[in-house]
Amino acid sequence: MMGKMRKGEGKDALMGYLLAAPAVILLLLFTVYPLIYLVYRSLLGGNLITKEPPFVGFQNYRILIESSDFHQVLKNTAIYTLITVVFTITLAVVIAAWLNGKKHSRLNEVVQTFIFTPHIISMVSVSTLFLWLMDSRSGFFNAVLSMLGLEPYTFLASPDTALFSMAMVMVWKGLGYYVLLIMAALQNIPASVYEAAEMDDTPGIRIFFKITLPMISPTILFTSVVATIASFKVFDSVSIMTGGGPLNSTNTLVYYIYDYAYRYGKPGQACAAGVVLLIFVCVITYVQFKVSRKRVHYQ
Amino acid sequence: MPQVGTDNRQEVDKVSSISLRNVKKKYVNDVVVDHLNLEIRDGSFTVLVGPSGCGKSTTLRMITGLESVTEGDVLIDGQRVNEVAPGKRDIAMVFQNYALYPTMTVEENIEFGLINKKIPKAERARRIQEVCEIVGLTEYLKRKPANLSGGQRQRVALARAMVKAPRVFMMDEPLSNLDAKLRGQMRVELIRMHKRMGTTFVYVTHDQVEAMSMADDIVLMDQGKIVQQSSPWELYHNPNCIYTAQFVGSPQTNILDGRLSEGKKLGFRPEKVHMQPVDAGKGINIPATIRTREMLGSELIYSMETPYGIIMCKSEEDVPEESRVTLGIALESMYLFGADTRRCNFGEEEKKEVIQKFGGSC
Repeated sequence: MMGKMRKGEGKDALMGYLLAAPAVILLLLFTVYPLIYLVYRSLLGGNLITKEPPFVGFQNYRILIESSDFHQVLKNTAIYTLITVVFTITLAVVIAAWLNGKKHSRLNEVVQTFIFTPHIISMVSVSTLFLWLMDSRSGFFNAVLSMLGLEPYTFLASPDTALFSMAMVMVWKGLGYYVLLIMAALQNIPASVYEAAEMDDTPGIRIFFKITLPMISPTILFTSVVATIASFKVFDSVSIMTGGGPLNSTNTLVYYIYDYAYRYGKPGQACAAGVVLLIFVCVITYVQFKVSRKRVHYQ
Repeated sequence: MPQVGTDNRQEVDKVSSISLRNVKKKYVNDVVVDHLNLEIRDGSFTVLVGPSGCGKSTTLRMITGLESVTEGDVLIDGQRVNEVAPGKRDIAMVFQNYALYPTMTVEENIEFGLINKKIPKAERARRIQEVCEIVGLTEYLKRKPANLSGGQRQRVALARAMVKAPRVFMMDEPLSNLDAKLRGQMRVELIRMHKRMGTTFVYVTHDQVEAMSMADDIVLMDQGKIVQQSSPWELYHNPNCIYTAQFVGSPQTNILDGRLSEGKKLGFRPEKVHMQPVDAGKGINIPATIRTREMLGSELIYSMETPYGIIMCKSEEDVPEESRVTLGIALESMYLFGADTRRCNFGEEEKKEVIQKFGGSC
């Protein structure tokens, strides 16, 4: 449109680039370059100390696709994510709605503090703690169950229950953070909208589903994307609580990547799995936003 | 003309009177409304007016049930409704910020209350169409409130209230978020709507012009109490105390204090102050100097310095600042107030005293 910029504009533009530069450089160095290198390394063979690893094309991917272990890992990760996200978000919405309904009560503040506390404890400590609590022979949970005259639960000891038990630990730790986010969204709903609903003689259930839920849907979407990605990347709890066992039943994608890179010394295969993780995270995020475009009400 | 509701007989039933008996509202240690007795006539357009914090919104919200009553009774059509839920009182309300459901379309907003009332679908569609024609929303039915202008949102709020064909219509400062021009237009529409529906309207505002222009009946409140309840004409011409005299009209009524016996005060409106002397015995004449003048177009507002303090004057005459004039005020446009600020008798003796103290001739 215009041939030349006016005198001041060139200077302004330069200043703009200059100010953005640190962030851009850091992003290129620590995000974009590693991503490109990850894809490149996934096409090479060799081990951690091979000086010039040979180019093997898509062989690493072929190994992954043919490995039943990797299929199991993908399945575990998907189930783990599903359980964690569904439980976390549902519980967070219910608890937030409950806490929000009792405004200014002392109990409210206490509950909020208790529920948020696990968020600030490191995952390593939480994992260690639950490893003891969930011990199938001498753990606290089974002690309580037997006191109540119930059958002991296997928790982490059985392939049938280990993944679910681990997911519950993640739910327990993350819940407070999501409750806080959803409560903030709830408090943004103007009181007059609820009063209008009251004047309209609306039953409580209908208020929740027709007014509250649609109005916090952007936050629910945001939290479920964050929770999905976080649980896709689960590592510390697997590493500490089960090491992927029993019988590969709790092995998840990131732990698999770590295992192949540093325990088995096959960085090419680890990088290939890393690319798979990258694709999954991208696809899930994309789908979530796409689906929600129709369901989510932004104001 | 389209009618809201199903048949005429129902329309007649829908008219309702409201009574508040000895109502008190207390928040922890604050008494907001105290010993309030209020009768709102069948089918009237009653406006609760007063400065902010006078308890007018609280009173309205106690009638709707959104606010509980600490003491006393709220009656609709003679039935005590203190414990009846807001949604069961057959009242519709228009909120100051409209309180539309932001996630629903215009149509869903209007339909929401009808679905709760379990009204069949065909009947719902008919009523929505009717109401939307009245308020002019037909082409916006599928839009979300965020995509409407302030005036259109206001109409949705009105439509949502009208469609329920309620016994009583409540409005809490519904025009305060609109610009001046639109406000004037909506005032006229509300008056027309009231005539057409014949339902009881209760309207809250802090704006005396709004109150005067729309009401059949004005309830002027201050500090949780009713100061005066009367027609707009009565309120302007026959104020029962200094507060009322000064609340209605702009600039506010002049009060001359400290000259009459027993602490009595003399009041008269700026528009009754003339810049020519009156005949001896018919009124008082006061020498004055014009200090400031505000040009309002059709008239001017003068602030005058006089031996009795500042007197405001509203006049069509154009006189330059610093001019010295004689102000004439007729006896029949004066109000006399007692030391307790209540209106008191202005008989022959008092008139004589006024002329004597303020000077009857020029």
